[in-house]
Amino acid sequence: MGQKLVIDPVTRIEGHGKVTIQLDDNNQVVDAKLHVVEFRGFEKFIQGHPYWEAPMLLQRICGICFVSHHLCGAKALDDMVGVGYSKGVDMLPTPEKVRRLGHYAQQLQSHVTAYYYLIVPEMLFGMDAPPEQRNVLGLVEANPELVKRVVQLRKWGQEAIKTVLGKRMHGINSVPGGVNKNISIAERDRLLQGEDGLLSMDEVIEYAKEGLEIFYDFHEKNRHQVDTFADVPALNMSLVDKDGNVDYYHGNIRITDDDKNIITEMDYHDYLDYFSEATEEWSYMKFPFLKALGRDAGSVRVGPLARVNVTKSYGTDTPLAKEALERFHDYTKGKANNMTLHTNWARAIEILHSAELIKNLLNDPDLQKENLILMHSKADWTGEGVGVVEAPRGTLLHHYKANQEGNITFCNLVVATTQNNTVMNRTVRSVAEEYLGGNDIITEGMMNAIEVGIRAYDPCLSCATHATGNMPLDVSIYDAKGKLFANKRR
Amino acid sequence: MQTKDDNLMHILCEYNNADSLIYGIGNIGRQDDGLGWAFIDWLEAHQICPKAETMKHYQLHLEDADMISYKKRILFIDATMKEGINSFHIEKVKPKMDFSFTSHAISVPSILATCQQCFDYLPEVYLLEIRGYEWELQIGLTLKAKENLDEAIAYFGSVAA
Repeated sequence: MGQKLVIDPVTRIEGHGKVTIQLDDNNQVVDAKLHVVEFRGFEKFIQGHPYWEAPMLLQRICGICFVSHHLCGAKALDDMVGVGYSKGVDMLPTPEKVRRLGHYAQQLQSHVTAYYYLIVPEMLFGMDAPPEQRNVLGLVEANPELVKRVVQLRKWGQEAIKTVLGKRMHGINSVPGGVNKNISIAERDRLLQGEDGLLSMDEVIEYAKEGLEIFYDFHEKNRHQVDTFADVPALNMSLVDKDGNVDYYHGNIRITDDDKNIITEMDYHDYLDYFSEATEEWSYMKFPFLKALGRDAGSVRVGPLARVNVTKSYGTDTPLAKEALERFHDYTKGKANNMTLHTNWARAIEILHSAELIKNLLNDPDLQKENLILMHSKADWTGEGVGVVEAPRGTLLHHYKANQEGNITFCNLVVATTQNNTVMNRTVRSVAEEYLGGNDIITEGMMNAIEVGIRAYDPCLSCATHATGNMPLDVSIYDAKGKLFANKRR
Repeated sequence: MQTKDDNLMHILCEYNNADSLIYGIGNIGRQDDGLGWAFIDWLEAHQICPKAETMKHYQLHLEDADMISYKKRILFIDATMKEGINSFHIEKVKPKMDFSFTSHAISVPSILATCQQCFDYLPEVYLLEIRGYEWELQIGLTLKAKENLDEAIAYFGSVAA
């Protein structure tokens, strides 16, 4: 009789989920699922609150990508007060650039966290290494100089976020129609030139380049594993500018296929015309898909791998990232890259891209200008808004409606991890078949391979289910009779 | 009151300078998890150790290893659910990699060990743990936790006076 494997909790991700794997009598995988078992709440409890509280309250879904939630909410509020993109109104240069600065700083910091704290230890020590070694504290013991640089890099990102939003976590900067402060020359110079205990901008870029080199070295030594681990198909989705290049803050949503043909391109305000969401009784996380293609063919991948697949190029003002992206594109010779572990390559490229974008912004004198808010009147009020940004983990959407009193009556949040739900389940299935199938003995390293596959997406289950709690994530293996065969919970 | 070392009575007196950091860990939105912040609030309200840097955060981050590398002494204050602690407990922290790291949390001994390994520096670190009982989504300490906070405050207040 077959077996069912359970990994519970899946570790080094944000939130609580578990994996179950069903084996048949020959220990071949017949089913594999990533269950997300957190409780939803944020969409509901925001209802009744004044509309202007939404970007402040909803960013508290997450302690990692809070700036993305704050900005997404801010863009929705711009729409609601009648000076947003839904009315064809462009944001003033200074507030848009201030918002972008905070956004890029968070992407840098978030990617550094995911890459170095959660993923690099496995790259350096191997998936089979003991759990007590393959984490960042193991890295501290093995390579303290590297961790020192990582700590300084993340600290720089936090200081940049604090400069823009006032606090290193859950700060406030955006207001309907703009921002509440610009960036002073002293603040700019501190970030550009650094100070005692704070890297300079050029050092940040140097360290970002080193991160990419770590991936290149790992890839060179482990090419077969990196290229064959969970090569799973999916459409790729990202915000793009008018040239078809990724824009982390604003643009159209573009979806491309394996040949990089454009399947759909939409104004994100129309997302409900294009997307539907399926549910399963075994998970709180929904399964979004393109209505036109149906649930299986219409599922998309978002995040670093999707973005570097969709984008045609980076600007000439980010030359180091542009060169790195060209190397990435050359690797698959014009085709989309579906290799799950290449997400880490994409993430390292985006760390460098973010750093170069930040440097360009810090040198832009618009940051010091005083025109911070697009003025609006009661007559401009629309009462409905949609905001979309490319969060570190992928495309993030906030949609609010409010009544005439300005109190929220509807809230819909579609977060990156939810968009990735189907492709993450495909990844779990692929890794389970490759690493577990046909084996009589299931090792800790085999179970960890499942987690490595999930971790590549850097999923935030707290965001995805809008959870209100501290719940870790679990892997289980069951036999055909439903008897628990193996379980992993740390 | 519980201490491992009554000689620790003097420690708060030594914190009134810019080389010292007093760091409250917790979340006031989760009942007794707010004990660490409440202790900082008391210090600030009574202007105790005004020259020390004070800080309140939800949890420790690995970057705190960098931050403490610029300080001579640090006092961390955190709520605890350890049943062996009746009211509060203070202890000098030794560096130890306990592999507690997640992207949301890391232990004080691991922070200190990281500081030692990466920055080649070992400041004097104490951890004050105050016993809490309830951790649900609610603002305000439970009565028993407040009593424990008051005991800690009375202890340190008498020393600081």
